[in-house]
Amino acid sequence: MNVVVCVKQIPDPAVPGELTSDNRLKRDGAKAILDESDSYGVEMALQLVDKAGSGEVILVSMAPNGEVSGLRQALAMGAARAILISDDALAGADALTTSKVIAKAVERAGGVDLVLAATESSDGYTGTVPAQVAELLGWPSLTFAKHVEIADGKVTIQRQTENGYDVVAASLPAVVSVTAGVVEPRYPSFKGIMAAKSKPLDQVTAADLGLNSISAGQSIVSVDAAPARQAGEKVEDDGTAFERIVTYLEELKVI
Amino acid sequence: MDFAFSEDQLSFRDAVRDLLTRECTASVVRDAWSNADGRSGQVWDLLAEMGVLGILAPEVDGGLGMTMIDLVLLIEECGRVALPEPIIEHAVVCAPIIGGVVSGSRTVTSFIGGSPFALYADSCEVALVERDRRLFTVERAALRLTPETAVDGSRRLSTLEWSDSDATEVGGPLEAVAAFDRGALGAAALLLGLSHRMLEMSVEYASERRQFGAPIGSFQAIKHHLANARIALEFARPLVTRAAYSLSVGDPDASTHVSMAKAQASDAAMLTSEHALQCHGAIGYSYEYDLHMWMKRVWALSSSWGDAGLHRARVAKAVL
Repeated sequence: MNVVVCVKQIPDPAVPGELTSDNRLKRDGAKAILDESDSYGVEMALQLVDKAGSGEVILVSMAPNGEVSGLRQALAMGAARAILISDDALAGADALTTSKVIAKAVERAGGVDLVLAATESSDGYTGTVPAQVAELLGWPSLTFAKHVEIADGKVTIQRQTENGYDVVAASLPAVVSVTAGVVEPRYPSFKGIMAAKSKPLDQVTAADLGLNSISAGQSIVSVDAAPARQAGEKVEDDGTAFERIVTYLEELKVI
Repeated sequence: MDFAFSEDQLSFRDAVRDLLTRECTASVVRDAWSNADGRSGQVWDLLAEMGVLGILAPEVDGGLGMTMIDLVLLIEECGRVALPEPIIEHAVVCAPIIGGVVSGSRTVTSFIGGSPFALYADSCEVALVERDRRLFTVERAALRLTPETAVDGSRRLSTLEWSDSDATEVGGPLEAVAAFDRGALGAAALLLGLSHRMLEMSVEYASERRQFGAPIGSFQAIKHHLANARIALEFARPLVTRAAYSLSVGDPDASTHVSMAKAQASDAAMLTSEHALQCHGAIGYSYEYDLHMWMKRVWALSSSWGDAGLHRARVAKAVL
């Protein structure tokens, strides 16, 4: 069983970000880390391959400047190899362009049974790439999985909903997006960290994947500061304030 | 010559920092003050799985066979979160000379170097003890423990007694000195980590706490305290790193370098704890606020494994 995990290497959220002159996130010199939301997919893939008894976990990542530090984190967790697409032509790529690249990289990986991805990245938040990759590959798309099982050539998931979950199944190969609660990601061991440096890392350009005339597909016209948080409502307690609290919680459907 | 830490050493530090930040929160330290064994629960097992406990253990025992320069940054991280575990005793002092420590399931404490107490002896499986400048191991069942009160509620202390017939010799005078040096350096690294966290807490507090219409950190008296603590720590750090390197390469002056490091780290940590308390004011010593747990660990460790005076005397004896 071969599982591809789409992983994004994002600027460290702990470090204040900067924008370039064309309104994109400045990545030169910024420390990149594995998007935490992708660590769940990596862990899920490792468990599925381990359970299957054979196969490997392959990472696919698109990042500028040949960035590998986030990939090394996932390789240290136990993934077998990685494909990195790094190409100046892809700078600022929109979600569809990214999906085209990832779909081609999945084909390059070869013999893939399952693609796992997070529901959305922590820096872009479009949340559309997994479904687009599935469409481009012509594979079923299963989303928001909080539990994944593989058996008899099928993948069955528990799809998170507002009120609980739906059970959804599809034949393999398929693309599944997993939620943050799907598994508890392992910490890399020191032996894993050292081994990660010598694991195969296939760095390619868009042209290497057969995408010769691809471009970012979007430009960012302007960036505005997030609106300041609105002042909250103050309620003077005349002995009936609890009623206002109850009403508020009811409006939120908490109670 | 390149004196910077290697990529692997920095990656190990980042991995340990990530683990401890998530798993060894202040509430874990607080729980250790009142739980049965004073320890962190699953954090010990996670550190073992990562490989921290076996860094110095020989490869034949399943360890990584590395040296103090590979471990020193990780011990500092343990200090940063005030890890309530016998990390120095187990991973620094005993791992190179006692087998079976890598998994962490057979926890080892130590009672050497003239220390009046053993740490966590009641929850350890074996103790490394010293008699007549020789090292021995004694199984927990053969130890007679007398509990002692500790200023740091998570540090479960006891005095130990044992019969010679229950002790297995594992080293002579040279090994005893080397074990003490490792322990003293481990304590110095822990003190650096503890102090850096106290300084962070103080800077955060001084940035938020307002008085006379401004954050108190904008007042010169507060700035001076924080800057002086930072200076003391920055002067201690190179000595700790140098001593770790000396132990790693078998420098003949390694013991002196360790004493220079421990003396400086003890003083810097005590200074930082005093200034942290001053900058916090009354809230700093309240039980509900986290700072006191870091402060009391510093008080305990600054005099453990030899206080600053003992180590200065050791340096003086070597150089005069």
